[in-house]
Amino acid sequence: MICSNNKQTMVVECEQLTKVYRKLLAGRSKDVCALQGISLSVAKGQIVGLIGPNGAGKSTLLNLMAGLIFPTEGCVSVCGHPARSIEARSGLGYMPEHPTFLGRYSAWAILKYHGALLGLSRQTISVQIDKLTEQLQMDEYIDRPCSDFSQGMKQRLALAIALMNDPSFLLLDEPSNGLDPIGIIQLRDLLKQLSDTGTAIVISSHRLGELDKLTSDYIFLYRGEVVSFGEKITTERIGRLRVGLVSNGSQIAKKLLPPSKLISNSETELVIAVEDDDEVPDIVGNLVKSGARITSVLLQREDREDIEDVFLQLYNERN
Amino acid sequence: MRAYELMKETLSRKLYIYIVHLCWFVTYGLLFTLRVQAAEHFHRILFMWGGFFLPLVLSAGIFGDDISSGRICVLATKPFWLGKLYIYRLLGLSVQGAVHFVITGGILLIVHGITGLGYIDDLDSWLFSSWLLFNTWAAISTALSVVVKRAYNFIFLLAALLFFGLLNSTLGWNNPDDSMTKIISAFVKYVCPPFKLLTRMVEGEYSKYSLIVGKYSSIKAVACVVHTFVLTVSYSIVGILLLSRRQFTCSRE
Repeated sequence: MICSNNKQTMVVECEQLTKVYRKLLAGRSKDVCALQGISLSVAKGQIVGLIGPNGAGKSTLLNLMAGLIFPTEGCVSVCGHPARSIEARSGLGYMPEHPTFLGRYSAWAILKYHGALLGLSRQTISVQIDKLTEQLQMDEYIDRPCSDFSQGMKQRLALAIALMNDPSFLLLDEPSNGLDPIGIIQLRDLLKQLSDTGTAIVISSHRLGELDKLTSDYIFLYRGEVVSFGEKITTERIGRLRVGLVSNGSQIAKKLLPPSKLISNSETELVIAVEDDDEVPDIVGNLVKSGARITSVLLQREDREDIEDVFLQLYNERN
Repeated sequence: MRAYELMKETLSRKLYIYIVHLCWFVTYGLLFTLRVQAAEHFHRILFMWGGFFLPLVLSAGIFGDDISSGRICVLATKPFWLGKLYIYRLLGLSVQGAVHFVITGGILLIVHGITGLGYIDDLDSWLFSSWLLFNTWAAISTALSVVVKRAYNFIFLLAALLFFGLLNSTLGWNNPDDSMTKIISAFVKYVCPPFKLLTRMVEGEYSKYSLIVGKYSSIKAVACVVHTFVLTVSYSIVGILLLSRRQFTCSRE
């Protein structure tokens, strides 16, 4: 599945990517297939949200793209080079989910250290540190030891490290963890800015609302397979029919409606996806005929589809 | 710049590293001024304490800490050959060891010069062989740290040393002429860090066998140094290969 047709602009390409973790447990090997035959690509300037339930293979995919693990089958290339090669890593910025630093180092010393590892000159390191300190508003604590840092400060510092080399490909794992609202807005603006300058960004996050404000391109992973990729979440694809209940309508709805239709299902309320208003009388009629006691019916049409709904819909289709 | 930062990190990564150096200096000083039985006795303690235990303590968790904290994931995405990470960290330890032994020698000479206490016979040779041994143990411990988490490299090496030491002495005591005993003794002597070889070299035991310079046999002494160096390089190659082929996950413990 390719998001853009222009091969020239591809920054990351994964072909038939499979990853099996082999574990030897009590003398018998227990293989876990984390990813299965995944093919995808991310174009220059594209922001892609990597979503999926826990254990779907998101971290494995990120690790493969970062060259931290080897694929069992298939290959990953970054800017035309194999993922673990030095050439691929020279354009890569990586931010882990739980950034950790040497506690005795100050933020400034950490950035200097990573700049040196990137092979930057002393002068470039200094310029980059000044630029990132201003962009990420780290001035107040740039000289403080990292052991004193809050989660938000650590996230900003980790992002600064990932941006030290002005990467052409940025991998972010839960970047807004622990950030205050101002920090989240700044992060969003910064990522949009980077995207405008041609940086390809892949973000793995469970904060769907946040992702929704940043991108409309998603890779939905489920049990190691790509369920949906590069799909623009278009406006008014579905409406939501909220049905208030008294009796056991939830059980009836399960029998009556396909899982893809059922966005949420509780004892007191059903939320059903409807594509057309004409569906509503049929759905309600069938529920009543089957013995559900309905207290209220409300059809909501939103300007645009919510990513949470899409997530739930895709998830329910497979569960 | 990269080399400097990685080497410097081996010293400044944890506060306890400074404390360890200080404790070791205090121990040497105490033993030196207390006139431990004889010069040889003190020097052997210096050799064991500085050449064996010091590198184990200094390299405890040198990669294992990064692996268990997930920090290795950021380091491994930087654009340079991963073997350099191993080489510069080992060099950092080696430089630390060299400075440690130079300071030790300096302090002991000053104390001896002022008070007349202690023994300084062959101190330079002992310090040099301690540093050689330091490098070999540091190479093994650092290589082991690539595959085990946290500071378990320290524990595993101590356990391995205990196991081989006990095995060697038990077999040697019961069946000294047995072929298995000879194989194990040869393994401990030539494949493990060369305690015996270096001790014999400094004590001048090889002098009766070949060309003599002062009390030392130049050929055998050079062979001992080369052997130690080759072991250090071999263990380093193992460490580099392990690091280059290792996969990293970013899960934090």
